[in-house]
Amino acid sequence: MVDLTKLRQTAKEVISREDVRELIGYRPGTYGFRARPAFVMGLDEVEQLMFTPACVNNLASYIVLEEKLPVKRGEEPDLRKVAVMVKGCDSRALVQQMEEKAYDRDRILVLGIPCRGVVDMAKVEARFPNILELGEIGLEGDKFVLSFNGNKEEVAKEELVADKCLRCRYPTPLVYDQLLDAEVERFADDDYADIEELGKRSAEDKWTYWEEKFSRCIRCFSCRNVCPMCYCEDCVLGRLQPQWMRRSVDISENTAYHIARAYHLAGRCIQCGECQRVCPVDIPLMELNRKFYKDVEELYDYEPGTNVENPPLLSTFKVEDREDFIM
Amino acid sequence: MAEKTDSDFEPNIVAFLCNWCSYAGADLAGTSRISYPSNVRVIRVMCSGRVNPLFVMNALQEGADGVLISGCHPGDCHYMHGNYYARRRFNLMRNFLEYLGVEPDRVRMSWVSASEGAKWKEVIEEVVGGIKEIGPMDQFRRRHLNW
Repeated sequence: MVDLTKLRQTAKEVISREDVRELIGYRPGTYGFRARPAFVMGLDEVEQLMFTPACVNNLASYIVLEEKLPVKRGEEPDLRKVAVMVKGCDSRALVQQMEEKAYDRDRILVLGIPCRGVVDMAKVEARFPNILELGEIGLEGDKFVLSFNGNKEEVAKEELVADKCLRCRYPTPLVYDQLLDAEVERFADDDYADIEELGKRSAEDKWTYWEEKFSRCIRCFSCRNVCPMCYCEDCVLGRLQPQWMRRSVDISENTAYHIARAYHLAGRCIQCGECQRVCPVDIPLMELNRKFYKDVEELYDYEPGTNVENPPLLSTFKVEDREDFIM
Repeated sequence: MAEKTDSDFEPNIVAFLCNWCSYAGADLAGTSRISYPSNVRVIRVMCSGRVNPLFVMNALQEGADGVLISGCHPGDCHYMHGNYYARRRFNLMRNFLEYLGVEPDRVRMSWVSASEGAKWKEVIEEVVGGIKEIGPMDQFRRRHLNW
């Protein structure tokens, strides 16, 4: 577990630096076990910072989502660094953004948090419903310790941990300036068993499965908005000229939306699972993203978000790429 | 699902042909009076690397039963390596469509050079034959085409 005093001490040192504009971290939410992002601008706000297994958000999104207002005449642009707290999975988003030259490495200051797994809030709330007071979640060995209303309950890790953590390959951040805790060894791996199982079904079975999922979509665009890789200023999903998908919510437009969204993350998705977490109608979006992740790894031996020096997958080629599907 | 054994079914195929090889190859097939199935609607693009996967998706939505992307042979691209990029893109696209339960052979790719009028005929016959076997595209076609 991350030591809170050390975390806040580090945050104090970071935010007092001349060349740091703000620090993005986590703070307690307003009810239940929830945590929410904190945007710390000054020393007085440092004391609210924390890190627990409830800190599920991927803060890398906020670096690219920040609106860049035009600089007024005669003024200098604010080039100070943004400090950000990242878990292992979130750090891969930073790597992938830098791989795509979204910003330079010296524009950010990374406080890495080696992570042993975060909770799935849906599972927590299913098990402990209607908790209005602020509770706390800790991780002790193989158990989550939940304290609320003066009670203390221990739950086995497998019961509440987020699915993505059971497949996590990089628990320790891949890029950081300072590490807030001891490094964590890789404790899980991804064998794509569920993707392969789904891929083996008949075409009609697969389409029935996805038709049901896609027809639930209300196109709220949450999955796009939360995604750390979806930071184009002009997104094709919302463009009117040409209008790739119409606004009516029917199976044709919804399928088009999900194909376009998933395809734009081919070779870019870093498996942070935020899209599926925020989906209000529980579409298994990670099953789409992981299909591409698996294909990209198998066909092109490429893993997104692992090396800043790698060129982005679809803007490179090898002469010996597979072409057995070509007539 | 619509019946798949309809022998009267005439598929619509949208073909994206690169200006320098495949379009000239199709032209050669025409000037050499080689007859090939008329199900194909040709759209000329400057390079197979110009074809956005969204074009393919939109064609399938708007009533195409199959899409063919055709470019120069590897190494012959007028723009050096546009066809290599296209190859990566559509390999992923095909695998993904298969995963969703859309037959991957609705999206085909071929290399046809400017001198291969006869190969163009073979390619088209194979694509049309394949789509006739698969049947009409009915997974995510737009239902209201006239609004």
